[in-house]
Amino acid sequence: MKQWDQGARLWARVFCAMIVTLFFVFPIYWLGAISFKTAEEIFAYPPVWIPANFNFHNYFVLFRDGEAWSIWNSFVTASISTLFAMFFGTIAAYSLVRYKTGGNHLGIWIISQRMIPPICVVFPVFLLFVAWDIVDTYTGLIVLYTAFNLPYVIWMMRGYIQEIPLELEQSALVDGLTRWAVLWKVVMPMAKSGLFATAVFTFIFAWNDFLFALILSRSDVVTFPVKVTGYFGAQSSLWSKVGALSMLGVLPMIFVVGTMQRFIVRGISMGAVKG
Amino acid sequence: MSIQSIVRKLLIAASTIAVGLSLTTLEASAQSAADRAVEAAKKYSGTTLNVLYEAGLQPLDPKNFTGPLWEKLTGIKINVIEAPIDQLFTKTMQAHKAGSGSYDVLNVLPNQMPDLALAGALEPLDKFVDKYGYREELQKIAPVYRDNQMKVEGVIYGLPDDGDVLIMYYNRAIFDDAKNKAGFKAKHGYDLAPPKTWKEFSEIGQYLTDTLAPKVYGAGLFRQPGLAQFMFQERFRVAGGKFFDADTMKATINSEAGISVFKGMVEDNKYMPPGVEQWGFIEPFSAFLAGDIAMTISWPPVGRWAAGYGKGTEALNWIPETKIADKVGYALPPGGTPELAAGFSFGVASGSKNKEAAYLFSQWMNSEEISLKRVQLPYALRDPFRTSHFSNPEYRSRWSNAGDYLDVLKAGAETGLLDLSLLQTDRYEEAMRQAISRLWAQEDPKEILDDLAGQWDKLTKRIGLEKQKRVYNDWANKPNAYPK
Amino acid sequence: MITSNSFADKLDQERWFKYFLIAPAVFIILLIGLYPFVKLILVSFQNITMFDNELSYQGFIHYERLFDDDRLWESILHTIIFTAVALPIELILGFLLALLFLERIPYKQVFVGIILLPTVISPIVAGATWKLMFDQRFGPINQVIAWFAGHEVKLLWNIEPALVWPAIMVAEVWQWTPFMFLILLAALSNVDREQLEAAQIDGASWWMTFRKIVLPAIMPVMFIALLIRGLDLFRVFDVVWTMTKGGPGTMTETISIYAYHMAFREFDVSYSAAIAFLIILILTVIVVAALRRMEVSR
Repeated sequence: MKQWDQGARLWARVFCAMIVTLFFVFPIYWLGAISFKTAEEIFAYPPVWIPANFNFHNYFVLFRDGEAWSIWNSFVTASISTLFAMFFGTIAAYSLVRYKTGGNHLGIWIISQRMIPPICVVFPVFLLFVAWDIVDTYTGLIVLYTAFNLPYVIWMMRGYIQEIPLELEQSALVDGLTRWAVLWKVVMPMAKSGLFATAVFTFIFAWNDFLFALILSRSDVVTFPVKVTGYFGAQSSLWSKVGALSMLGVLPMIFVVGTMQRFIVRGISMGAVKG
Repeated sequence: MSIQSIVRKLLIAASTIAVGLSLTTLEASAQSAADRAVEAAKKYSGTTLNVLYEAGLQPLDPKNFTGPLWEKLTGIKINVIEAPIDQLFTKTMQAHKAGSGSYDVLNVLPNQMPDLALAGALEPLDKFVDKYGYREELQKIAPVYRDNQMKVEGVIYGLPDDGDVLIMYYNRAIFDDAKNKAGFKAKHGYDLAPPKTWKEFSEIGQYLTDTLAPKVYGAGLFRQPGLAQFMFQERFRVAGGKFFDADTMKATINSEAGISVFKGMVEDNKYMPPGVEQWGFIEPFSAFLAGDIAMTISWPPVGRWAAGYGKGTEALNWIPETKIADKVGYALPPGGTPELAAGFSFGVASGSKNKEAAYLFSQWMNSEEISLKRVQLPYALRDPFRTSHFSNPEYRSRWSNAGDYLDVLKAGAETGLLDLSLLQTDRYEEAMRQAISRLWAQEDPKEILDDLAGQWDKLTKRIGLEKQKRVYNDWANKPNAYPK
Repeated sequence: MITSNSFADKLDQERWFKYFLIAPAVFIILLIGLYPFVKLILVSFQNITMFDNELSYQGFIHYERLFDDDRLWESILHTIIFTAVALPIELILGFLLALLFLERIPYKQVFVGIILLPTVISPIVAGATWKLMFDQRFGPINQVIAWFAGHEVKLLWNIEPALVWPAIMVAEVWQWTPFMFLILLAALSNVDREQLEAAQIDGASWWMTFRKIVLPAIMPVMFIALLIRGLDLFRVFDVVWTMTKGGPGTMTETISIYAYHMAFREFDVSYSAAIAFLIILILTVIVVAALRRMEVSR
């Protein structure tokens, strides 16, 4: 009897989980479905739930007309800025943890930079970038995303580095390694999973940014979120493009979740636990 | 402000000098304006012009057709930069405020022209127009566009390039149906024909819905506030309304005319398809093409696409198949004074480093010869705007009743009404949009309009009553600000 | 601790090293973070508008305008209400989800992975997706409602005042509940099992166990999660931008949308700087108050 009860409860849980999962996945399915639909299917009433066939035409158009380039722009700016932010952020975090540089205040000041809403600073940043002549360049967006993500990286890496036992570093120093070598050969490998989790998020933040890209790009480095909003036009409604380009922007995230789920889980929960 | 106005005066002075100088270049006048532009632009061969366009279908023209052609002719490369329509103003001003000179040629929405011109973002064009002998061809642009979408306080800031006007389309199969005709005549005592007044429009709409719904509804119109405000502006003036008192500059939008039009708009929704309150551009368009509504009012591309023009064009594959291709009828909307909603003019950015080349490209695009080709591109969103476009035999034979279509556009280009255009028009429009969404939320029309008038007065006060009055009267005295 | 100090002492002769490590990061943050901040303050005391470019000191005129700007306060009110409604919903849903997945469930990884997806996609895409979902004619939402209602429904999600906010709320909750869920799942997994079992043996009710054992254990983490999400909600921009752009009218205008409007639509640059300053002030007060409370509760 008890066994049956447990079995039933398990199934009830599975059932609930499936319903919930359906709610979370359906909108993304719908987006994907639109990306494969023909114009008739998109503007059909009542709506078509499953496109008749996998019609890659909407994607083909994006690539042929060069609009898929915005995905590349997102990729370049997000990945390079992630590298920079991770490098400078990690060594800064190491300095904060091991040398207590600037005491507590420096750390607090750095994380407080993260709380300023983008809308508050985007206009002066724009003026600054005009003065430097880096509006609508990769450099501009990379510099910006690096700066914007640094506080996050420092904050997170601080938590991860704190977990690394000090003895290891000490014995390495005794063995005659330089400080750089200790940092590279001892600390970095120990913090590997933390580094990875943080990098994934840094990439995601830059990849998904809209407001900065909207203001700081014109044509050459327009990223995909900016491009997507442009498809809701006045005398045209390019839902097929909204669907296809959005899906191109979501695919890397599906990949990330599929292959690096534990880092994401770690990254999110660490943010709160260590914060 | 003061420095800018001095600069502007200097520029105007310079342009009058340029008129004198330009006499020497007039020997080239045997050529067409397009040829002259090409000839003069050759010296800028090798440069690149950044051209700001509304994202979507609009940029296909410079990207696929005129851009490559211009490059072949002059060696000047055209780099099209796209921005959504609501970003055009932002991008233009942003570049101007930063002095970054990122754009050379601009697409300017006419009712934003005063703001852009007074902020100093646009280059005065008179000197170029004279230098390259373009005045004559400019004069041949259909009068409403020419007189109203070109100048701010007497100075040319834009070359009107788009005959945007909201005209009426009706399904002839329904209007010609014997049963409908007989039934309607019996009920209302006059013939079933495209309505001439809003009262007729309502009666026809109601009748057709009563007899044909839910298969077919009498009409479907723009109802999203952003678009419905165009229709309100038109109908309000057709009903005799004035936006402001010319002397005191007090808002008079809450007059009897305003209230009756607001009430009429709500009444009309009752015979339109359910959910019409949310209709933007695409819904009435697709419903009309599917034969689900008998009448609609929209921009000119709807009239072409409904007739099947451009069918099979890749860029238009998002448009649902038209089921009424040979049944589209064209007419002026009730009142006979259609709204000249939005539209585009070419402008030259004051911060551009290649102003002359930018102007020459605009002149070439805008010229009789090239513009005729451009407005006939199947995927074009530029609508006929020159007298010669309306009478062009080739265009008139594009589909069975293309002639009717062009005649209606031509009539609209004579009687059409201008969008309200003030300093910071957008703020006034915003308040109007808000009022319309309150209207759909079933609030009391009088109360809404009283609030709207209050908001407008507050805005006027903030912007400066005298300054705004000058701009308003400048606008109100244009021949197409109010119906004659 | 002792080791740590002596370790630092040993490095004292190479004092430059710690500064060398932190310098680039601080430099970049100062460059992109501090400059705009100073510029903001400066601009807010000048008078730069669409038409004017007055760079001289103008006093507090723009700050005075803040008090007289109904639309600003309405947008702040919208933002506060939005935050106050969305935050508890996300918390409760996230908590229920965490409870569900706390116990053994087959294919847990797969479920969690899929549920996680909305949180990592672009808010712009999330907004666009829900905009398409909520389309009254071509979207599936009205269709699904029609199945349950048994007749055709034409709910105007983008225009009906009573419906626009719920529509945005659904999109926001959809995207960020998984975030709460993950944090709470991690927190709940760390609750002391033995204590729970002891409570069970003592015959404590579910509610008592929750209040006396679970809640205190997850409190600090939950608090941080609420703070992070609360700050995000307060500056919400992307989702609203794609779904309504603040409309109809100004009905869904949040403070970020309004600030954008004043800066990049009206080009009331100085005034928008004053607004930005107000936002930063509000956020600072919230954060400081929150951190104080957290110190106390710890």
